[in-house]
Amino acid sequence: MANVFPKWVNTIPIKVIVAILLIKTAVVLGITYYATPKYTRVGYAPTQPVAFSHALHAGQLEIDCRYCHTYVDRSEHSNVPTTQVCMTCHSMVRKDDPILAPVRDSYESGEPIPWVRVHKTPDYVYFNHAVHVNRGISCMECHGSVQEMDVVEHTKSFSMGFCLECHRNPEEYIRPQEEVYNLDWERPDTEEFKQEALEFVHDWKVNPPQSCSGCHR
Amino acid sequence: MKNSEFSGPRYWKSLDDLAETPAFKDWVEREFPAGASEMEGVNRRQFMKVMAASFGLAGLGMTGCRRPEQVILPYSKQPENVIPGVPIYYTSSQPGQRDSIPLIIETHAGRPTKIEGNPSFKPYGGGTTLFAQASILDLYDPDRATKSSQAGATLSPSAVRDLLRALHKQHSENGGADLLFLAEPSSSPSRLKLVKQIKQTFPKAVWTEYSAVDSTASERVAQDLLGKSLRSLPHFDKAKRVLSLDCDFLSGTDGHTAFVRSYANSRRVKSSKDAKGMSRLYSVESTLSATGSAADHRLRLSASQISSFVALIGAEILSQSGGDQRLIARLKAAGEGFDVDEKWVKECASDLVAKSGKSLVLAGDHLPKEVHATVFAINEALNAPISYVEVPKAEEGIARAVAQLNTGKVGTLCILGGNPVYNAPVDLDWASAQAKAASSVYFGYAANETSKAASVFIAQSHYLESWGDSRTFDGTLLPVQPMIEPLFETFNELEIVSLLAGSETTEAYSIVRESFEELGGTDFNKFLSDGLLEGSAYQATKLNLDPASVVSTVEAAAMARPALSASNLEIRFKPSSHAGDGRYANNGWLMECPDAMTKLTWDNAILISPRLAKELEQRDGVQVFPSKMPMNKESEFFEGAKGTLQSNKAVFKRGKEQAVVARLSLNGRTIVAPIHVLPGMANYTIELPLGMGRTEIGRVGRGVGFDAYQVRESGASSIAVGASLELTEETYDLANTQEHWSMEGRAIVREGTAEYYSKHPDFATKMGVESHAPANYGKDDSKTLQQKAANQYRGNSAYNHPKFTDPPPNVNAWKGKDARAKFPEAQQWGMAIDMNTCFGCSACVVACQSENNIPIVGKDQVLRGREMHWMRIDRYFSAKEYKQEEVPEDVQVSFMGVSCQHCENAPCEQVCPVNATVHDRQGLNTMAYNRCVGTRYCANNCPYKVRRFNFFDWNKRQIGEFYKGPLGPVDEPELHKMQKNPNVTVRMRGVMEKCTYCTQRIEAAKIDQKRLAGASGNVKVPDGKIKTACQQVCPTDAITFGDISDPNSEVSKMKASDRNYSVLGYLNVRPRTTYLARLRNPNPKMPDAYKKPYAYAQYKKRYGSSASTSGHKDKVGGHDKHSSHSHKAAPAAH
Repeated sequence: MANVFPKWVNTIPIKVIVAILLIKTAVVLGITYYATPKYTRVGYAPTQPVAFSHALHAGQLEIDCRYCHTYVDRSEHSNVPTTQVCMTCHSMVRKDDPILAPVRDSYESGEPIPWVRVHKTPDYVYFNHAVHVNRGISCMECHGSVQEMDVVEHTKSFSMGFCLECHRNPEEYIRPQEEVYNLDWERPDTEEFKQEALEFVHDWKVNPPQSCSGCHR
Repeated sequence: MKNSEFSGPRYWKSLDDLAETPAFKDWVEREFPAGASEMEGVNRRQFMKVMAASFGLAGLGMTGCRRPEQVILPYSKQPENVIPGVPIYYTSSQPGQRDSIPLIIETHAGRPTKIEGNPSFKPYGGGTTLFAQASILDLYDPDRATKSSQAGATLSPSAVRDLLRALHKQHSENGGADLLFLAEPSSSPSRLKLVKQIKQTFPKAVWTEYSAVDSTASERVAQDLLGKSLRSLPHFDKAKRVLSLDCDFLSGTDGHTAFVRSYANSRRVKSSKDAKGMSRLYSVESTLSATGSAADHRLRLSASQISSFVALIGAEILSQSGGDQRLIARLKAAGEGFDVDEKWVKECASDLVAKSGKSLVLAGDHLPKEVHATVFAINEALNAPISYVEVPKAEEGIARAVAQLNTGKVGTLCILGGNPVYNAPVDLDWASAQAKAASSVYFGYAANETSKAASVFIAQSHYLESWGDSRTFDGTLLPVQPMIEPLFETFNELEIVSLLAGSETTEAYSIVRESFEELGGTDFNKFLSDGLLEGSAYQATKLNLDPASVVSTVEAAAMARPALSASNLEIRFKPSSHAGDGRYANNGWLMECPDAMTKLTWDNAILISPRLAKELEQRDGVQVFPSKMPMNKESEFFEGAKGTLQSNKAVFKRGKEQAVVARLSLNGRTIVAPIHVLPGMANYTIELPLGMGRTEIGRVGRGVGFDAYQVRESGASSIAVGASLELTEETYDLANTQEHWSMEGRAIVREGTAEYYSKHPDFATKMGVESHAPANYGKDDSKTLQQKAANQYRGNSAYNHPKFTDPPPNVNAWKGKDARAKFPEAQQWGMAIDMNTCFGCSACVVACQSENNIPIVGKDQVLRGREMHWMRIDRYFSAKEYKQEEVPEDVQVSFMGVSCQHCENAPCEQVCPVNATVHDRQGLNTMAYNRCVGTRYCANNCPYKVRRFNFFDWNKRQIGEFYKGPLGPVDEPELHKMQKNPNVTVRMRGVMEKCTYCTQRIEAAKIDQKRLAGASGNVKVPDGKIKTACQQVCPTDAITFGDISDPNSEVSKMKASDRNYSVLGYLNVRPRTTYLARLRNPNPKMPDAYKKPYAYAQYKKRYGSSASTSGHKDKVGGHDKHSSHSHKAAPAAH
């Protein structure tokens, strides 16, 4: 009796095994790459050229965010302070500290300090700081409790889902305008406050965009 | 470390002076040089260290795939007024030779990125020209001159200054006896002052000025007749009748930005009541220009015959208005025997005279002296609304410079700008004349034909890098402010001239400030913030024309009327829209911007009339017109489609224009170039666009077009008679973006006459299929525009679509009635384009390109139909007798700007498999680039064909390198990157793109409004705050943009006009961009009068008789009856 199956059929089990292995590897690698917090850089805390501590400046000394990030309420970018701003205090305070040597060098040479960027949206996302901080969204909603960080760390995921969560439910994240830069402020868990937040949304007509054009141009 | 100190000088060991350094001695003493046993620059230990780091990285798995580390570099010291992320706007101007464009320039972190018109200067109203828009690209041209040089060796800036000081010293000894200047004319008062100083310091020197395109004819004639150099400033807003004699005042002449604006204002029609108040334009012209296409009556006449025409019409006008008898007699005699439609002349003259005081006549700058003299007399007789201003007298021309050079006594020739080797009249042989100067200094923006022949080359700064001043056509003083420090070691013109003049102040800023004060300015800061000095325009004077002088001018004129024929052609030289006179030839935006009339990109062609083409075809036996055959002859729809023709497949290569190459001879000189048949040309006039075919130029302009200067002689620099054309068997691919010139009777551009419109105000909406089909909106057809914008009415469907303006269903905060009442409904954006005031200048095309980071793709890709412009200007021709096989001779031209129409029922959105193009709540059809996978379904499904696909990485790769794929070099010049608008994504290969209604500007305005609104809750952007790039640049305000949910917005008012219609409205895609029908205003008494524009007549011919029944022929009133009829026939239109 002739063979029912041609000879090449013998290789099928091996091919299937190889294919399964390959697919498995791809799935495992894909999940490790995309589904870990690392993908959205949560936990990213690079070493900065100057060991600047937000815990000290913003936490302990309670310096307002806008003292350094001057234009956050006027521009799409929250600017990183110029060396000049550092030197307003540090020309007197700890003026010989070796940690601050790069700051002094920069001030003298005019070369910028190469701060390492921690928070970054993709190039096709046009996030605007001014419109958020002027309408009841605090810095910490995206940047976390910076006032407690010695080294600034990426704490939120910055995925599109993260943005949309707030854009869909602004009343759950909004706070009174005067508390926007108060990083120690705590959201009262009361019905009263919930009502207050809702009124804020209604009166200020907070209607954050959910369409593509809101952020992608 | 010793080794690292050492590795530097090791490469310099051949230099003798290094031999004495300790490091060198150390090296000599060692048996083997330090590096010999080591890897280049790295010893083994270092290598292991470096490699260990990367082994470590490798161990961390995919960390290397994560986003790379980025640094933020803040200023060390904060510059004043700079807020990172917020653009700063400065006033400036684009300085021109006789006209300058007031500008506002957008800068991002010190980089100028976009040029806009300055609306503070009322006559231009914020409009700019095509060239002004594109000039920003020249600043970032990687091929521009970056350094000065002398005989191939680089000159440092201080060496240049020393050289010029030495020149000054050398020549001031003998009063500049062997010194010759050839400069470009300039409107700058500061330069004028410095030139005076030069003439004082060097009394024996010769100062000449040369412009390749001369436009001073009228001023020279005034100088001869009246002893004063007078410039005519016509006021079109006061004119009701205009006769243009080959004068392209809408797009060609100096100062046309003001003219086109005021002319458009005289044509603007708000409702059918003021239709009859429209102005009327008669145009007599030799080539097809924007003015001719705007004209209500157009007469094709060769330029060399216009003298005779002027004599006839001048005699007629003067005798009707009681002018000087002697002059009338003289003109009659001069025009005698001229074969022209007498009725045309007579009726045109009567119409002008009837509106005396409100009518004016203009003559083109290329026309001879007697024409200008007669036109002065005519305008005096008509009491024309023209003001005359005295302007500085034109300097001596290039002929004088050549004469001086030919004496052999010129020691130093200073060429300040221009490019005479390339564009001087060919009979003067400038190149060899220049060689006769002992030394020549050339000051110019880029290396070119002239710089190659000069002994010293000094690099010029761009105007966006320089201090300066300039004057508009009417003389208003404008500042030229630097937006950025010179990118390279280049010089300001004022500094160069002042160094040559030996003046004490050589700093441009001080010179400008000084001349500002001399012109009566007091507040320099206000001058800079306004961008102009109010009241600094030239003073108007009276003409005081003596008719006798006109008589003698006409008498002295030859009044030759050469008999033109296919073997004795007339040539018109005109600057091309791609390169001007040649100065913009390395500008990619201009090269790729289709010419307004021919729609050619990346080339110029010999433009000839259809009649000449036919005669040449017969004479030379070469086929010019591709043979056409009926499309789908077997199809049952053939009759209904009126036998649409398509190119014969046998000669159909790549679907692009296969132009026949012809040999053009004039006075023994020959050029070989492709021909392009353009309707509307005078029969035996051919047009040669200047400025292309440059030989010494950067990457963009190399090998592009042909050089028409090669046959241009002095004395015949704009008209030449006696040319002949000979067709060859060769063909040449022309990258034409719109070969199909006819609307084929479809109601795309809708046109009517003013008279017809005043009787049938709704004519525009009663054209096209939608006038026969049931209304798209069904039972909701009577709803207002605002309601239609907010609701998605479904016609007669039972299903109700949710409102655009409702709160998003997934937001809890706005649920409930009370909340809904407070909900800020999204503004609904829309656009209206008034075709009555669009003259096809294409400034919007380049403005869009500049605002939205649109790349250029090169000729080869345009030939494949891959141009990327988000906005295009469609140009259609329509003829009285439409024959499909023939290109007509007399045409009416229609323009239509088309960009994404932002359909409410967008067909593109329905076919996108990945939701990359979706609607937003403001009615925008958005495009999310990062979602797009490049299926191109959307482009296929777009009825307007406005979507553009990135077939290649246009931005990153150079033209010509596209097909190398990943093997090709990725080299986007750093300079090009600097021009990019940081608020618009630079698209990569494989994504679709299209007009976004400048969504970045909308968002910026909305964010601004919201940021400042606070508790007031006033988050609505006020009308007029957002201007799209195309709207801002339009000198005639043809484009209106705004919120259509607000009945009081400007755009709602435009759309409320009864001329408003949607293109292809019957598709029920409900475009947000709508058009206002165009009106023509013919004079019924004219022999070429028409009751309906040709386009309308063609439409009627195609649809009026067959598709409809009786009673629908000319009367549009039968519509209702009709719609019920078709309703039955086609009930499922939705």
